[in-house]
Amino acid sequence: MSANFRKIDIDQYDEDTLLETELYDLDPRDPATVLADSKQKQSAVRSALAKGDIGSALVTVLDGAPYGPNVEEAKALTLQTLLLILNSTKSTDVPALLRALPAEAHDTLMKYLYKGMAMPGTGEVSGSVLLSWHEKLTEVAGTGCIVRVMTDRRTV
Amino acid sequence: MAAPEVFTIAQVPLTAHAFNADRSKLITSLNTNEAQIYGRQGNEWKPEVTLSEHDKLITSIDWAPNSNRIVTASQDRNAYVWSQTTGADGNSVWKPTLVLLRINRAATYVRWSPKEDKFAVASGARAIAVCSFDADNDWWVSRLLKKPIRSTVLSVDWHPNNVLLAAGTADMKARVFSAYIKDVDSRPSPSVWGEKLPFNTICGEYASPAGGWVHSVAFSPSGDVLAFASHDSTISIVYPGGPAVITVRNSTLPYVSLTWTSEDALVAAGHDCQPVLFSGSAEGWKAIGSLDDAKSGAPLTPVSTGSSSGGRFASAGVGRLGTNEAFARFRNADTLGKSSATPGSPVSGGDSSGDTELMTVHQNTITSVRPYEISANGNVAKVSTSGVDGKLVIWNVSVPAGTGGLSSRLGGMHLR
Repeated sequence: MSANFRKIDIDQYDEDTLLETELYDLDPRDPATVLADSKQKQSAVRSALAKGDIGSALVTVLDGAPYGPNVEEAKALTLQTLLLILNSTKSTDVPALLRALPAEAHDTLMKYLYKGMAMPGTGEVSGSVLLSWHEKLTEVAGTGCIVRVMTDRRTV
Repeated sequence: MAAPEVFTIAQVPLTAHAFNADRSKLITSLNTNEAQIYGRQGNEWKPEVTLSEHDKLITSIDWAPNSNRIVTASQDRNAYVWSQTTGADGNSVWKPTLVLLRINRAATYVRWSPKEDKFAVASGARAIAVCSFDADNDWWVSRLLKKPIRSTVLSVDWHPNNVLLAAGTADMKARVFSAYIKDVDSRPSPSVWGEKLPFNTICGEYASPAGGWVHSVAFSPSGDVLAFASHDSTISIVYPGGPAVITVRNSTLPYVSLTWTSEDALVAAGHDCQPVLFSGSAEGWKAIGSLDDAKSGAPLTPVSTGSSSGGRFASAGVGRLGTNEAFARFRNADTLGKSSATPGSPVSGGDSSGDTELMTVHQNTITSVRPYEISANGNVAKVSTSGVDGKLVIWNVSVPAGTGGLSSRLGGMHLR
């Protein structure tokens, strides 16, 4: 017996189906603006890093991070920018940096750590750096932070 | 502070629990299609009556204190109202009355209204059935709240005015509806939630902060404030006059149940296995501490041999993991390169108790937290919790004294 029937998208026959877009509020900015913002942030982060101001670089990149559909380029750019910060921070400085961040930024940072772990070996991604940040972040923000990454549909 | 009263009712999960008015009887369901009434004898709960009418798992139970009626909701899509009558042999029996719910999915949650003339049944059919008694036909009829619910309703709570109803759903929203029924209710006076309130008026809709199912909703005693707990490990407190929503991001696993204890405090409990007291006002909210204190609970729970020497809450930095003996063992093995297994007792086998026991009183998720005792000033003095571990616990609503210890207990918590 054919098992093809299992692959039928039954939701298309349900007028009242719950759509992905109903599960979260979309980013009000249009994709082009988001991309421009991300580029601007990358240069802001570079100059902050040059001054050694990692704290403000983190705040800059994590504030208003792109999410939702149609902004793949901006998402990739933001991940790249963030990895730049993660890779250039001394591990002894990490706990103090994390404690200075607001709670929303913890959640966003955790999203990027998991995004980075999902794509090992590509570009600047270094597993050991991500894991050490993950450990420090979990110590500061707890398992609740990880739960929020799993539940949040606004993926970065 | 007195220690919490701990009762091991069963070795299986307690899906829901409710007490009668004078707290001499308890009804709970042991994860089956039957509800069991217990009577209190000294320090024990003795099984008395089994209520069996449902075909499938009972999901929720409520006991109306004044009219002494029980309502049960089940996955079989039905609800029954049970009233106590005198049977043919002179003994009292609990007589079920079927409720015409008109839902095509499981009933998930049920609560009597404050005046006990209505009750609300939440369901997986994207609807809430608001039920009232039809004396002509001698049955309970329902009206459905449907719009704009997009998914399973997980919890409901009644406003003290007997008209407004809050609901938490799996579409990540908490909502406030009007459940005004013309023949039952008198016109409610205007409140912060609105003035004209025909049936199915939506008085408020609030999304969970990070996309978690809303597990539990509760109105404050005055009804002017709404709190909800969601699966993204947050609790949110809504001041509709504001309109301000205050969010507390917790460092622990999510809470699934919460109840107000006064106008400025509430207790939340859930996957973290311990009830936590929160306090605040329109200016802000924060966690005060766990009701589950290491000292008072010491005789009841295994003594820590691991790394956490402070109170249980001190190690809450990594949530429930920090309170787990097994976790501590592996962490020691990892960071210190040593195994805590003593010679002669192999890691596996051997002492089966202790190793995997949590340092909290509840050994698994708390399914429900409810007010138990009201003090003279109207605040809730004690709350009861039931858990997946089969335990029923009655807690004093006070975080152990010693303000010096407070900050250390909160040390690991992340607050805002």
